[in-house]
Amino acid sequence: MTGRAVAIVGGVTTKFGVRPATWAELAQEVGAALFRSVPELRTEDVDSLFVGAAEPERFAFQSHVAPFAAEQMGLRPYRILQRTELACASGQSAIRSAYAAIASGLSDVAVAVGIEKMNIPSMAEANSAMGCVMDRAWDGPHGATAPPFFAMVAQRHMLEHGTTEEQLAAVSEKNHRFANTNPTAHFHEKTFPRDKLLRLPIIAPPLRLGDCSSMTDGAAAVVLTSEERARSYTDTPAWVRGSGQYSDFHNLANAGSLTEWSGLTRAAREALGRAGIGVGDLDLAEVHDCFSISEIVEYEALGLCPPGEGGKFAADGRGDLGGDLVVNPRGGLLGCGHPLGATGIAQAVEVFQQFSSTVPAARQVPDPEWALVHNLSGSANVHSVMVYQRGGAA
Amino acid sequence: MSTEVRPRRAAKATLAPPVERPTPRPPEPDSPPKPSKTFAKRPFLLDFFPLESADQTRLHRFYERLRAGRLSTTRCPRDGELLWPPRTACPKCHQEELEWVDLPETGHVYAFSAVLAGAPLGMEDEVPFAVGLVDLDGVPLRLFGRIEGRPWAELRIGQPVRAESYDIGDGRVFYRFRTVG
Repeated sequence: MTGRAVAIVGGVTTKFGVRPATWAELAQEVGAALFRSVPELRTEDVDSLFVGAAEPERFAFQSHVAPFAAEQMGLRPYRILQRTELACASGQSAIRSAYAAIASGLSDVAVAVGIEKMNIPSMAEANSAMGCVMDRAWDGPHGATAPPFFAMVAQRHMLEHGTTEEQLAAVSEKNHRFANTNPTAHFHEKTFPRDKLLRLPIIAPPLRLGDCSSMTDGAAAVVLTSEERARSYTDTPAWVRGSGQYSDFHNLANAGSLTEWSGLTRAAREALGRAGIGVGDLDLAEVHDCFSISEIVEYEALGLCPPGEGGKFAADGRGDLGGDLVVNPRGGLLGCGHPLGATGIAQAVEVFQQFSSTVPAARQVPDPEWALVHNLSGSANVHSVMVYQRGGAA
Repeated sequence: MSTEVRPRRAAKATLAPPVERPTPRPPEPDSPPKPSKTFAKRPFLLDFFPLESADQTRLHRFYERLRAGRLSTTRCPRDGELLWPPRTACPKCHQEELEWVDLPETGHVYAFSAVLAGAPLGMEDEVPFAVGLVDLDGVPLRLFGRIEGRPWAELRIGQPVRAESYDIGDGRVFYRFRTVG
């Protein structure tokens, strides 16, 4: 550990979906929900605010969103106020920044909030927003967005390892089934059995609609504080025990192997090493299933199975309740939707709620102690990992 | 809602054969560059095609050479490393005196997919279109790009392709791949 021990002591997620609400209204909603959820937290306790927001300029035509969000949430930060942008990992970046601030002593109580409004009248405009996550001048003019890139990952994985459409569907079926237990999930009410998934339209071959996470509106927030104060907010703090990131390319031409995400292996090694545990110690993992193939490659890169066997890992249910560990009990990005800035925060909320046994029994991991959260961003060119431990002493 | 549709003209020029020799780096202009004649007609913040003229980018030679049918990139004379996309500074030694070299026009598809839904603004009418990563023949570069010439369902990994330049309709040019054989 470095500096003071830091814990998440509360957290909430708004309803994810196609929301008849603006960016500002989502910020107000998550702020109100946060203070209801952590009654001991007073607005004046919060000295710092980190706002994970990927593309408010594009989707909401709003910049300078950190003070904008603070006003919506009723906060007056007096130590650190900033936005964190790392595309699909913007939310985890907000948490990592709050963690660093508290560990160093610069902040005592910080809120990390993630907000994204993605459903706008023109979906073509929204798709352009997704496209500029890539190298806009070189990849963008070809029409590059996330689906065709991850489709190429799937195509190469199928070629190199014999991964099947049925194995992709196994990931999607699991995560949608978990989402059925999560009222905040975009697809809470929809069921996706494997045979139905295999009949959905192709979006970017070989990926079908059910292999892709959706454009979703939503917000989520967590409160972090130090070992000195954690117990004044909760009996079940989720301690941040490790953090790691890695990035080695941005332009698609420099991706190297599409099927070996060595950046994730390195980021996870860093985070798990700082926590002093191995991947086998994990009880649950919230990983970035922006596409079904992503979760399969992530099983391998995390070392949960040998390279090439991620599809079998999925089909054998080893990431399901009763398996080696539970992967994406929240419902994942596939089931919950993917409001870019909110996703990383919502994953941490799930960890906090799993540790405090406040999730529905249908997705409660039995007696969890260790959890890992992973986000990728862009074309899997950045991997961000955090490791949490339940309760106990600081 | 009206959207401008990019004309899908036939290729203006076939690219020159691969040239291995380096070309000397032309001097940067001393006088202020002329105003752009190729200003984007689409809303600038929703147009992926870059501004290509000398008053907008130090990489304007890429587009000038592309207009002449030559796909090229920069190489670091110190490392000898081919850099893609073209750059103004070497990422390894941070040398800023890079040289332009022509790239092979032929390559083979390493991976591909297609956009069947969810195209960005201005590209909706081009759906479905194929995209892929192409290993250029004889050089260690794998370029991403559109693949024209054959429906996506008929493409295969290993498909031979040839790079071509095309006019995007407002004076600017870009590159794409077309199937061969």
